[in-house]
Amino acid sequence: VSYKNLEEAIRAAGNPVKMLRNSQLGPYVYPVVPSEFSNWRDEQRAWRETCVLFNQSYHMADMFIEGPDTIKLFSATGINSFGTFAVNKAKQFIGCNYDGYVIGDAILFYLSKDSFVLVGRPSIHNWVQYHAEKGGYKVTISRDERSVARDVPIVRRLYRYQVQGPNAPQVLNKLNGGPVPDIKFFNMGEIKIAGRKVRALRHGMAGVPGLELWGPHEEREEIRAAIVEAGQEFGLRQVGSRAYATNTLESGWIPSPMPAVYSGEKMKPFREWLSGNGYEATAALGGSFYSDNIEDYYLTPWDLGYGPFVKFDHDFTGREALEKIAKNPKRRKVTLAWNGEDVTKIFRSMFEHGQDPYRVLDLPLTNYASLSYDKVLTGGKTVGFSTFSSYSYNERSMLSLGILDNEVAEVGTQVSLIWGEEGGGSLKPTVERHRQIEIRAIVGPVPYSREARESYAEGWRTGKK
Amino acid sequence: MSNRNLEELLQSAGGPVKLLRNSQIGPYVYPVVPPEFTSWRDEQMAWQHTCVLFNQSFHMTDMYIQGSDSLKLLSNLGVNSFKNFAVDKAKQYVACSHEGYVIGDAILFYLDKDLFNLVGRPSVHNWVQYHCETGEYNATVERDERAAARQGPLMRKAYRYQVQGPNAPGVIQKLIGKPVPDIKFFNMDAFTIAGRKVRALRHGMVGQPGWELFGPWTERDDVRNAIVEAGKEFGLRQVGSRAYSSNTLESGWIPSPMPAIYDGDKMKPYRQWLSANVYEATASLGGSFYSDNIRDYYSTPYDLGYGPIVKFDHDFIGRAALEKMAANPKRRKVTLVWNPDDATNAIGSIFQDGPHAKYIDFPSAVYSTLPYDKVTKGGKTIGVSTWSGYSFNERAMLSLAMIDAEYSEPRTDVTLVWGEEGGGSTRPTVERHKQSDIRVTVAPVPYSEIARTAYRTK
Repeated sequence: VSYKNLEEAIRAAGNPVKMLRNSQLGPYVYPVVPSEFSNWRDEQRAWRETCVLFNQSYHMADMFIEGPDTIKLFSATGINSFGTFAVNKAKQFIGCNYDGYVIGDAILFYLSKDSFVLVGRPSIHNWVQYHAEKGGYKVTISRDERSVARDVPIVRRLYRYQVQGPNAPQVLNKLNGGPVPDIKFFNMGEIKIAGRKVRALRHGMAGVPGLELWGPHEEREEIRAAIVEAGQEFGLRQVGSRAYATNTLESGWIPSPMPAVYSGEKMKPFREWLSGNGYEATAALGGSFYSDNIEDYYLTPWDLGYGPFVKFDHDFTGREALEKIAKNPKRRKVTLAWNGEDVTKIFRSMFEHGQDPYRVLDLPLTNYASLSYDKVLTGGKTVGFSTFSSYSYNERSMLSLGILDNEVAEVGTQVSLIWGEEGGGSLKPTVERHRQIEIRAIVGPVPYSREARESYAEGWRTGKK
Repeated sequence: MSNRNLEELLQSAGGPVKLLRNSQIGPYVYPVVPPEFTSWRDEQMAWQHTCVLFNQSFHMTDMYIQGSDSLKLLSNLGVNSFKNFAVDKAKQYVACSHEGYVIGDAILFYLDKDLFNLVGRPSVHNWVQYHCETGEYNATVERDERAAARQGPLMRKAYRYQVQGPNAPGVIQKLIGKPVPDIKFFNMDAFTIAGRKVRALRHGMVGQPGWELFGPWTERDDVRNAIVEAGKEFGLRQVGSRAYSSNTLESGWIPSPMPAIYDGDKMKPYRQWLSANVYEATASLGGSFYSDNIRDYYSTPYDLGYGPIVKFDHDFIGRAALEKMAANPKRRKVTLVWNPDDATNAIGSIFQDGPHAKYIDFPSAVYSTLPYDKVTKGGKTIGVSTWSGYSFNERAMLSLAMIDAEYSEPRTDVTLVWGEEGGGSTRPTVERHKQSDIRVTVAPVPYSEIARTAYRTK
């Protein structure tokens, strides 16, 4: 069945929650890149101890926006300040709906005068494109969709790599044939690799300097080969698709907010404009947090840790609502460290006959939906969500990025999360029949540091009672 | 790295065990096919309960052998009988060294008069090609390498699919629009699917009726789409690369014997003929079984469960040695079922600080081209365990092993040592770890209930 637009798809399903929860999309893939180059444990270790090459050329949508009204368009749809935005700078661009809930976020690159590219999950691309088309902005838009298909030739406009980790500066200096220019965080410059000019965004994970590099797709292999070659003496590892997405557990970015587009009369024209088989219509919702009201899944910029980006120095969609929320944000982003003994019980259940196992933890990336929402409890009361989750070999722990009520968000607080879905599980292809299990977890900071669980918390790691 | 051939490479590496144990090749991949279509659990369940589509188009080497002497060539090297071999039949082809140890095995298809295709891991292909080129045979070989051994765009001569599972007959019947012809196991037929001519080998990989389908590469999408579409009402699942290689744990075929070519003067010309970047040169050897003598890794056809196909009705390399072994085979192929608590403890160790067990990946726990783990009883090594992994159907970690006959009775308790010595080798797939003893119980091969009763009842 295909629907003309999102609004029709929702109407046919009866409820957006129902639609998303039983999505038949299958796994959320990080395509093309091999699963593992060496092994995912050592690939994770390398971003902490030596350095890595992330190949980000395939899993994100690029949208190129050009024209004299571009800044005006971004300013009208983004919560960010554009006061000092200039060529060779980039931003974590965030768009909200009229009620101040996040539609999506992506990296916005200011490439040259009136020329930008927006890179990320496509919900924010769609929102910006919609306004560009409906709002009479003098801009042109061209999209380069992420690759989901596999065994057909995949041609994109750009390659996109990151070189990250403590040894990244040495690798980059070597490639550049001299010190790389001193570029500030989220500013852009240019370096030389294999005789080619390569544009570079200063980026970093958990405080360690790195660069994001891009250029024409047809140069991808020679650039990649040069990075791998130069990285050899510095312990560089290429990161495969199984480890890739798990790096965000250590850096703290939540990749998967529910796009706040499914409800409200004011958003209806947008839903009618959106495709009936796009990201918003096909995304899979998974986890133990249940509500029939889609708005219970919506997140504010503060929930996601974007509070500091919200700037009331311009007019934008959602401003009024956000001005109210700003006075008293209710929730905070945290990292949850899962109790190792409880996690091990999940594995033990895979060897039992006669009853369904607990929801299997597929390591290292344990998400089984595009949008992961697990319930977090204290004393039987729901106090927030656990979203993206993965195992970290660096921390020897399951971690998840949580959004918790302020009262329970203090580092060291003990909470629990429910892993698995109700009633044996939803109809998603990634979900086999399973039982739910309660997992104890300790609240930690974002980005994560094991300090938290070792010195603050009582319990299983510290032996404190 | 200027070694001209395998023999030179072995000299400079300090011997085969050293070479293979420190191979830098990385994971043994099942390329191109996505890791999962639904989930590996769901895909595993489908081959026992509904039906599956395996896409085998990428991970095996095809070698076409053509000419009036092809059968003679194959017969001179194969332990199998060729008496009743005819067009539209296939064989599990096994070749041995002069001393009767297995070099490799593959499926041999009798495609047409004087035309054969050999499909599998390339060690047996290389051996056949060597004899074809250096012997006096009126035959030629043409190779179509597996995806991992090629560069550039992926073009192969043939696609190769399997439709397997209890509902496979229903799917095939729907695809061909008539009742499924009653062809015998390992015999071939021709079907028309989506208007395309498709050749079909009657096969049953996990104890269920099934077909292996192949045809021209350019028709691969048409045929696959037709199978997926027809399979919908039968619960067909496409199997991803993660589940794919675990299916053999239930059916019992050991994919990874050590090619018996690394020692002996008689094999030296062959090693000099093999180049320095072939499968035999780059394969990685892993696991807890250690010996400096490469011969300790070799297997006989009897160890691998191929005893019944060894036929002394023709002359072939290794015959004399095998005639001696036949009287008293020392080892038997078994399935080892891991103790749930020991398996859990090993996995659970990665959630604690300090040294952990070698990580057990799900569903395939194999981390080398040639996995060799030690199996012990009372501290004494009594055999080797090869392929290991998890079966959601059986809710168990299983290993395929070859152990001394006296311990091979079902329900015998033995121990499998999981992980490598000294923190692990330098291979890319091996993170630092400690070894752990896993209690295991001997079970028959094939393990799955259905496979045990229905497989190969010809």
